[in-house]
Amino acid sequence: MTRGPLFHEQTARQRLAALVDPGSFDELLPPPERITSPYLAQLGIPVSFDDGVVIGKAKIGGRKVYIAAQVGQFVGGAVGEIHGAKLTGLFKAAARDKVPCIVVIESGGVRLHEGSAGEIAIAETMRAIFECRAKKVPTIAVIGSDIGAYGGMGILSTCCDFRVMSEHGRLGISGPIVIEKWMGKKAYDSSNRALVWKTSGGKTKYLLGDADALVHDDAGAIREAIAKLLGKSSAVTLKAMKTRQKELEKRLKRFGQTADPDAVWKGMGVRNIEAASLASGPEFAAMAKRGK
Amino acid sequence: MEKFAKAFPSKPLAAKTAKPWALAGVVGSGNLEVLLERGGRPSDTMECHVETSIPGYKASWLAALADFAHNYPAGGTKVTINDQGAPPVLVNLRLRQAYDHLIKGDK
Repeated sequence: MTRGPLFHEQTARQRLAALVDPGSFDELLPPPERITSPYLAQLGIPVSFDDGVVIGKAKIGGRKVYIAAQVGQFVGGAVGEIHGAKLTGLFKAAARDKVPCIVVIESGGVRLHEGSAGEIAIAETMRAIFECRAKKVPTIAVIGSDIGAYGGMGILSTCCDFRVMSEHGRLGISGPIVIEKWMGKKAYDSSNRALVWKTSGGKTKYLLGDADALVHDDAGAIREAIAKLLGKSSAVTLKAMKTRQKELEKRLKRFGQTADPDAVWKGMGVRNIEAASLASGPEFAAMAKRGK
Repeated sequence: MEKFAKAFPSKPLAAKTAKPWALAGVVGSGNLEVLLERGGRPSDTMECHVETSIPGYKASWLAALADFAHNYPAGGTKVTINDQGAPPVLVNLRLRQAYDHLIKGDK
C-alpha cells in the first residue's frame, strides 16, 4: 500500500495541513505577529515566531474545529509562557464557542528556561480543557511524534476526552532518560528502544486503555480517527473518576512490581508477544480486541 | 546572540503573490526559520533582519543575503530570520523555499 509521508516525520505546519480540510486552516497569532518568548531572548537563546506552537481554526470533514500543533524541533516542543497562553486561549475559545478542540502533541513538557510561567500555563490549559468537558465540547490529543507527550504535556493529554496514538507515539510523565538518571541503567535502560516503546509506546498505552485509538503513522489515518471522535465527549463525573481510580489501583496491584513489559502485555491478554510486536498499530488494535 | 539588519538592492517582486507572507524552516539545532513578508518597503530593496545564536559570521550572512537579493526579484519584501546555527547552504535553501511559498502558495 502506498502512503503519504509518515506523520512523525512531518513538521507541525505540515501535520496541520494534512489533518484538516484543504485550505480550511486559519492561523491565530501567525508568525508575522511575532509573539515570541521574552525569556529566551533574555537568555540569548533564539526565539521562534510562533513560540513552538501553531494554533488556529479549521474544518475536519466539514466540521468546525480548533486545532493546535506543537513544533518539536523548537526547544523540544516545550511549553513556555507564550506557547502555553496560546494553548490556554484556544481551549478557552473552544469552550466558549462550543467547538471541538484538538491538540497535536510533540513535547517534553514545561520549558525549563521559563519554569514557573510554563507550569502555570499548563495548569491553566488543563483548567480550560475541563471547562470544555463540563460543556461537553470534545477535546482530543494526538500523540504520534518523535518526542511524544511527556511531563506536563503527558498529563495534559490525559485530561482530554480522547487520545489518538500511532505506534510511534509515546505517552508518559518522566521521559526515558530522566527515569534512567534517577533509577539507574539497570532499572531502566533508556537506550533500549524495545523497552522504552513497550512501556510508553502507543501499543502499550492502547492496551492499557490510556489511548482510545491506535492508528497508522499517517495523517489520513489520524484524521479518520479524529473524525470518529468529534461527535463524542465524555463528561467528568465523580462516578467516572471513581471507576477510573479503581482501574488504576487494580493496574498498580497487578503490574506495579513487574520489571518485564511483556508480562504486562500477557496480563492484558496478548497471547503471541512476537506477532503483536511485529503487528502494525491497527492490526495490534484488532488483535487486542480479539484478546490475542 | 548576534543581531543585525541591512537592506539589499533587488528587482521588484511580482505584483501578485499567492500569500502576503511565507515561513520556511524551524528554529532547531543547525536550522533556522525565514519569514518573508511583502508590502510597505521600497520596491527596489529587500529588507533583512537576522538574529543568530552563533556570533561572528556577519560577513557570511550579508554575502548570502546579497546573493539571494541579486538572484531573485525580492524588492519590496522584508526578510526576518531566527537562526540556530544553520550552514550557509541551508540559509539559501530556506530563503528559496520561503520565496517559492510566497509566490505559489503552500503545496
